[in-house]
Amino acid sequence: VTRLPRPARWLLRMSPVPRETRAEVQADLHELFIKRRSDRGAAHAHWRLYHDVLSLWTQPRPATPDATSASVFALVRDAGADLRYAARLFGRQPAILLLTIVGLSLGLGIATAAFSIMNAATLRGEGPRDPDRAPVILRTTDRSMSTTWTYDEFLRLRDGSTRMQVEAVLTDVAPVRPTDGTTAADADAPSTALGLVSGGFFAATGARMLLGRPFEAADEQHADSPPVVVSFVFWTTALNRDPQAVGRRIRVGRAAGWIVGVAERGFSVPSNRRLWIPLTAYGAVYGPPLHLRQGYGGQVKRTPDMGVQVFGRLAPGVPISEAEAQLSGVAATLSGDSSGLGAEASPTAADSALRVRLDPHAGLGRMSSTERLAIVVPVFAVIGLVLLLACANVATVLIATAITRAREMGVRAALGASRWRIIRQLVTESLALGAVAAGIGLMFAVWAIPMIGTMIEAPAEADLAPDLNVYLFLGIVTLVSGVAAGLAPAWHGRGVDLLTPLTGEARQDRVAPKRLRSMLVMTQAAVSVLLIVMATLFVRATFRAAAIDVGFEPAGLYAVAPGLGDPFNSDGADIRNFWARAIPELQTVPGIASLSLTELTPFGGLVKTSVPRDAPGRLIWFKRTGAGYFETLGLRTLAGRTFTRDEVRSRAPVALISQSLARAYWQDRSPLGQVLPTEIPVPQLQPSFAPVRPVVIGVVADAITERLHERNTFAVYEPLHPASEHFAQLLIRVSPGATGVIDQAGKRLRSIDPQANVRIASVAARLQQEEGRPRMLATLSGVVGIVAIVLCVIGLYGLTASVVGQRAREMAVRAAIGADRGDLLRLLMWDSLRPVALGIVVGAAAAVLVSRAVLTAVLFGVSPQDPIAFGSAAVILLAVATVGVLVPTRRASAVDAASVLRQS
Amino acid sequence: MKGQHLGEFEEFTLLAVRALGDNTYAVPIQQYVEKVTARTVSIGAIYAALARLEEKGFLRSTMSEAVAQRGGKSKRVYTVTPTGLRMARDLHRMRERIWNAIAEGGRS
Repeated sequence: VTRLPRPARWLLRMSPVPRETRAEVQADLHELFIKRRSDRGAAHAHWRLYHDVLSLWTQPRPATPDATSASVFALVRDAGADLRYAARLFGRQPAILLLTIVGLSLGLGIATAAFSIMNAATLRGEGPRDPDRAPVILRTTDRSMSTTWTYDEFLRLRDGSTRMQVEAVLTDVAPVRPTDGTTAADADAPSTALGLVSGGFFAATGARMLLGRPFEAADEQHADSPPVVVSFVFWTTALNRDPQAVGRRIRVGRAAGWIVGVAERGFSVPSNRRLWIPLTAYGAVYGPPLHLRQGYGGQVKRTPDMGVQVFGRLAPGVPISEAEAQLSGVAATLSGDSSGLGAEASPTAADSALRVRLDPHAGLGRMSSTERLAIVVPVFAVIGLVLLLACANVATVLIATAITRAREMGVRAALGASRWRIIRQLVTESLALGAVAAGIGLMFAVWAIPMIGTMIEAPAEADLAPDLNVYLFLGIVTLVSGVAAGLAPAWHGRGVDLLTPLTGEARQDRVAPKRLRSMLVMTQAAVSVLLIVMATLFVRATFRAAAIDVGFEPAGLYAVAPGLGDPFNSDGADIRNFWARAIPELQTVPGIASLSLTELTPFGGLVKTSVPRDAPGRLIWFKRTGAGYFETLGLRTLAGRTFTRDEVRSRAPVALISQSLARAYWQDRSPLGQVLPTEIPVPQLQPSFAPVRPVVIGVVADAITERLHERNTFAVYEPLHPASEHFAQLLIRVSPGATGVIDQAGKRLRSIDPQANVRIASVAARLQQEEGRPRMLATLSGVVGIVAIVLCVIGLYGLTASVVGQRAREMAVRAAIGADRGDLLRLLMWDSLRPVALGIVVGAAAAVLVSRAVLTAVLFGVSPQDPIAFGSAAVILLAVATVGVLVPTRRASAVDAASVLRQS
Repeated sequence: MKGQHLGEFEEFTLLAVRALGDNTYAVPIQQYVEKVTARTVSIGAIYAALARLEEKGFLRSTMSEAVAQRGGKSKRVYTVTPTGLRMARDLHRMRERIWNAIAEGGRS
């Protein structure tokens, strides 16, 4: 018997005997075993053997402190030595160092950029502190619920409330410029998001100040020279972090204010406000108040009849239901004497009792958790994918080096290093790499974040710069990926006798386990394919989107918004008056071919749709337009006629329909004179009117005016009644070749009403933006996909080079017994490319799932299973992988068999 | 120098090392103790006792050179230290005194 029985050896390995003495114990057991067997027979020897082995558990030795104790000092000392060693090692192999760092820093950079944008969008403490105690107060009647109250109503609620502090906020924009207080309002000062708030706003939201003080109740008195609190972002960008900012003069619209405080970073309630000013200063900011009138409490208020959002902070210990009941009592007294809002002015709504509902989840610009999840999950999926790729790459490179370092590990083990010690060295190395990569990645992220911000059309107000969350994320990710990448070679080398490489023999009979290596290559290939498929799909979608015929000429088409406040907040008389003066004025501008009012402008983001009862998957756009709409847009009338001015004025129940709609419901028959099919519900703006089904008087050509990707051309056009014109925008068609028309038009419109914040948008620009969505996605996924391929090929190259190096002897033997070069090449290539092929299959399957599930909306009709995309991804990856494998393989197979064999 | 008590088994082990002549190792010690005490002694118990004795300073150990018949594995060999020797003698003397006292008392 030359060795102990296997079960005994196995048990011994599990026993608490320290590794260093295990060999000695085994030798002792073996000696005893032989002696006993010769004395008393095999049965007795076995019995005593297992008795002895078990005694190693029952009679543990007292722990003796030894030299390799895991004290903190020893760990730190070792880490220092490991670092120095790693520096020397990588200094000798700069190529590998470079590859690893490039791979990791790209991965970490992309992940950090994605995280910090998501962080800014969803995770940062945007909302008020303890938001569950700061509910929004909803205005509720029997039939409606609204977030908007009149200012009067708010004042009464605030005075009547006993269980909670009630505050109001109104969001708007105004030109803002820090000044010395002497210059007048600047027309071209940058337009800035403004929060008009009541005095206790900051107390109720729990905002903290970086400098100065928040508003107090007394601040509402200084309407003419209003105090201003600026956000951290404004302080950073517009005030250059001026430590003396408090007390500076600042122009907000027409008002000359002064800064009293700077809010701490991250506070921008509600939704990305740049600065805050008391509500009472509304008139001072936006010019003479629209309605100067005797308000509640007998005081003359210089505030317009404005709608405000009301929220509150519950008094300590007060349950939400109690506050709700108490406030409802206050609200009930409002309904009678309040002037109400425009929408409420109709006699039916006003007499139903007014109540309040407290909704902590409506939040002040706070995202609901499902919305948040919808953003967080895909972003984290992308982050995970990219990190997985980077980690897999680094692990592949490290494994490739570990194979060549087997001898070094053997020496270390022979000199007394435990496996744990060797693993620690590997992890220290990869953590050092990770730290360097994290630094580069962070720089990359800081550089890339504004670009990505532009790509995803982040609002200009958003503060995207990395904050503590981002640094924490980067730190944790670096740690995890560093440890994971370092452990991969250790795991890869597990079970391999560290001493074997030293002896220089037995190289062939103990081939290192290859599964992990193949898995890593496969993962990289799969991720690469997934990304390339998506990039190709997006590129094809870009071309497809640009080629979509929207049915009208977008160039020379402009949409004009009056900027006279929210039409839902007032009766809209001022807007209607504005249009009444603007339209004749613009008709005299040379170069304007035609113009028309329309409720919805092309690609304006607002839609009104109805879903037919017979085809729930179909959307039908409803548009109310003026008479000249079709001429302005350039839509041909295919049958019948367009609206007459009389029909528009009298709200006649007539409609035009698009060609596709006509074909879908009347096939070859003429729809003229027919009533709109009952399968199509007609949205009723005024519930009080009896629904009248309009009669079709004309058919116009198809046009895509809402969502490019849906390519939906089912449309019903109804006349826009003059009483509803305050909901409308103006569509202008400029004659081809005319220049300066829009500037001219803008000037004239502003001269009509200086209060109007007229905005003129180019429809062509909107369309371009719409078309650009897949292009931007294509750029993003294309860049990441190319990075993925490069990483994959780098890893594959390094791995193949070291593996074929290892197998040089085997190749030589094969050559010696008659294999020719072609055979060797095929063998090596197939071994290296097999995991790539597998990865392509896996990646393609994942791509099918992903594109089916989430991407259809932006593909503009390109099939998610587009064969070109999948084919090209597979071909591209296989081609570059083949090159990456071919170079080292050719070198290996060209080797002279005799010289290799002589060497060993 | 740590706790100075010596259990019965530890005493046997210590004496076995002395009796076998210095530079002996675990296997002969186990055989010896088993033979003398006529009871089954596991190797684990021997290891534990040796380690405790060494910790208390009664034994000293070194690694021997590799020996061919043990598959090239080296072994840890033990020597009784002067302290260990004194301790064993003290114990012996203590027992003698007690026995003498018993003899004087005439109980036997």
